[in-house]
Amino acid sequence: MVRALSRREFLRLAALAAAATATGCGNGGGGGGTGTSAPAASPSVKLSGDLRILQWSHFVPKHDDWFDPFAQGWGRQVGVNVTVDHIEQAEIPARAGSEISAKQGHDLIEFIFPPSSLEPSLVDLTDLNKEAESRHGKQTALCTRSTFNPRTEKFWGFCHGWAPDPGNFRRSLWEKAGMENGPTSYQELLEGGTKIKADQKVPLGLGMSNEIDSNMAARALIWSFGGSVQDEDENVTLNSPETVAAVEMMTRLFRGAMTDEVFGWNAASNNQALIAGQLSYILNSISAYRSAQKANPDVANDIGFSAPMKGPGGTGLASAHAIPIYVVPQHATNPDAAQEFILHLLANYSEATNNSELYTLPAFPDTARETAEWLDEDPFGSRPADKLSLLKDAEDWSTNVGHPGPTNAAIGEVFSTFVLPQMMAKAARGQLTAQRAVEEAETQVKKIFQKWRDNGLVGGER
Amino acid sequence: MSSSEAAARRPKRYLMEREGVLAPLLLAPSIIYIFALVAIPFFLAIAYSLSDVTIGDPSFDFVGLENFRQVLEDPVFRRSLRNSVVMTFVTMLLVVVISKILALVLTKDFRGKWVVRFLILLPWTTPVSLAAIAWLWMLDSLFSPIDWTLRRFGLIQGSLNWLGNPDLAVVSVVAVQVWRVVPLAAVIIMAGLVAIPSEIYDAARMDGAGFWRTLFQVTIPLTLPVTAVAVLFGAVVVFADMSVPYVLTRGGPIDATQVLPTWAFFRGIQGGDLAQGAAIALFALPVLAAMAVAILRSVRKMDIG
Repeated sequence: MVRALSRREFLRLAALAAAATATGCGNGGGGGGTGTSAPAASPSVKLSGDLRILQWSHFVPKHDDWFDPFAQGWGRQVGVNVTVDHIEQAEIPARAGSEISAKQGHDLIEFIFPPSSLEPSLVDLTDLNKEAESRHGKQTALCTRSTFNPRTEKFWGFCHGWAPDPGNFRRSLWEKAGMENGPTSYQELLEGGTKIKADQKVPLGLGMSNEIDSNMAARALIWSFGGSVQDEDENVTLNSPETVAAVEMMTRLFRGAMTDEVFGWNAASNNQALIAGQLSYILNSISAYRSAQKANPDVANDIGFSAPMKGPGGTGLASAHAIPIYVVPQHATNPDAAQEFILHLLANYSEATNNSELYTLPAFPDTARETAEWLDEDPFGSRPADKLSLLKDAEDWSTNVGHPGPTNAAIGEVFSTFVLPQMMAKAARGQLTAQRAVEEAETQVKKIFQKWRDNGLVGGER
Repeated sequence: MSSSEAAARRPKRYLMEREGVLAPLLLAPSIIYIFALVAIPFFLAIAYSLSDVTIGDPSFDFVGLENFRQVLEDPVFRRSLRNSVVMTFVTMLLVVVISKILALVLTKDFRGKWVVRFLILLPWTTPVSLAAIAWLWMLDSLFSPIDWTLRRFGLIQGSLNWLGNPDLAVVSVVAVQVWRVVPLAAVIIMAGLVAIPSEIYDAARMDGAGFWRTLFQVTIPLTLPVTAVAVLFGAVVVFADMSVPYVLTRGGPIDATQVLPTWAFFRGIQGGDLAQGAAIALFALPVLAAMAVAILRSVRKMDIG
């Protein structure tokens, strides 16, 4: 049971939560960042006309303050009239879908989750990806697997960055539980989390709801236990002893260290609760921490970061939390300008990373070489300054949502219909056994895969 | 006006006076509106449900009833259908009782009646998505003022987790729907109450009928048709609503509040399978059609009455 709040505490925390909401899921301390950009490189083709960009409202508002003039400045240099529209990230799929159906709308659309099912209506960006690699070196593997379809051998999108999903823990609480540096394995998470909830009345929070963070938490747990939704060749492999063991672990974690609230969360809930000091551990990008820096500095200073929890085999993996991906719809009236703009963005990616307050890391590490330095000494006021240095190795413990295969259309629908969080929740609440919950989820997953195979977008046979 | 001017204007005026011209002209905006915003999307949904259309691939390949077969095999769909029916039924049951009481109170004279009427109507005038977001905070696991009040009175410890507990989540969604629909129903019933001639009440009083007897033998029977209209309008609004469950729970926890509109949205728009999304949404059609027929019949009965 959560510790009861006094009236004073309640009002203070409500105000903090409101502040956190008002600043989106991000927005951190001050410092760093500039609004300038390098001169545009000469485009390979003569550009003109309009370029209409639709993208998500970044969790860190400062990023959009920088991005819009940056894009428009590039447009002025190359003779293109650029307009940028921002909408809430959850609204992007519906908006993009309606534009594609109407065959008109924006020339460039940015998602933060791979929209692989849109492939037939998108411009093939294979040449653009090759050009980017020739200019900036190898792309981070998880980004490639998020936009390349091995079945059709096409890059249907362009991933320019990604956000890691480390563990966020309250150092003071875990110290009292004998783990000063936080838990390192799911077993430690279970033992420490249970002790903290019992002794200090603060639960931990891994969501099992219909929202993005719950999806990420379920996948991280399954992968760390050696399971997966599909294999490298896009065959469904969900029903395995490893997945069942992962679901059993989630059940134990819920019963020992969590409360019912995890079944009703939305994407902002774990951020709000962490900032309010009401959770001992969450799995999230650094946006929750950046919000805490502004809304509740005491809690922010107490937050530590950890690599993904390890499973029984010693493996710890987490999904990239957000994967910004540009797509160019076939209806785009200015696809050349769209692709040239992406190359210009890459050439200035240090600015993008800096203005996202290190939320977005570069998909091409060479485009923002200062990143490691910034993570070692956070220009946005972390105490201690090297708090984020763990993220320098994030690529080693991060992967794409379809791991170990590509993030294909079937994986996208499994993600969007929340099959895995529901599977976890059914077992955690005792509605089904872990084995039965996995079997039921696998039945759903297999139907989804077969449907997208019939559409020619997904490989594999079973 | 000269006779030549009058002659010049006559054909136009005659044209406007001819029922065969004027009637279609006046009806045209409604017909165009219904055709463009109701009929076309409706037939498009039927066409989609018989195809393999996805958001990314709008090319139309006929697949017959395959989408309906797959949808019927889906346990989440069956849960959504059941939830839609049960939650609408419970909501309207509560709406009838509460709106009837409210309407009876509001027809009486008391100080500040207009302020009370205004406050009661407020939920109906608030955009549903904004109202749902306000309720999301009211029911938050950490910041719920409802929980805080209950804690202050020593009735609970910790949090009730309104949206995290499956049973309480259903209660929450139903409560918000009731809160939203009651004002409309109360106003409709109030109009019915006001229309009852005072002579009937006088006669009942002369015959010695008390409050309860007057209520059950005069007021309720005479307002039954108008109550039916209120209920059926409300039921259509609740059954077809996606905003409240989507904002509050996104269909969770464990699909406890998943309803046809939310599941159609998740599958069709978020998941990209437009064809199955359309098939799911079309399952609402028989229920909504039955409600529409019932509404029209009730209205007709009232006219005859």
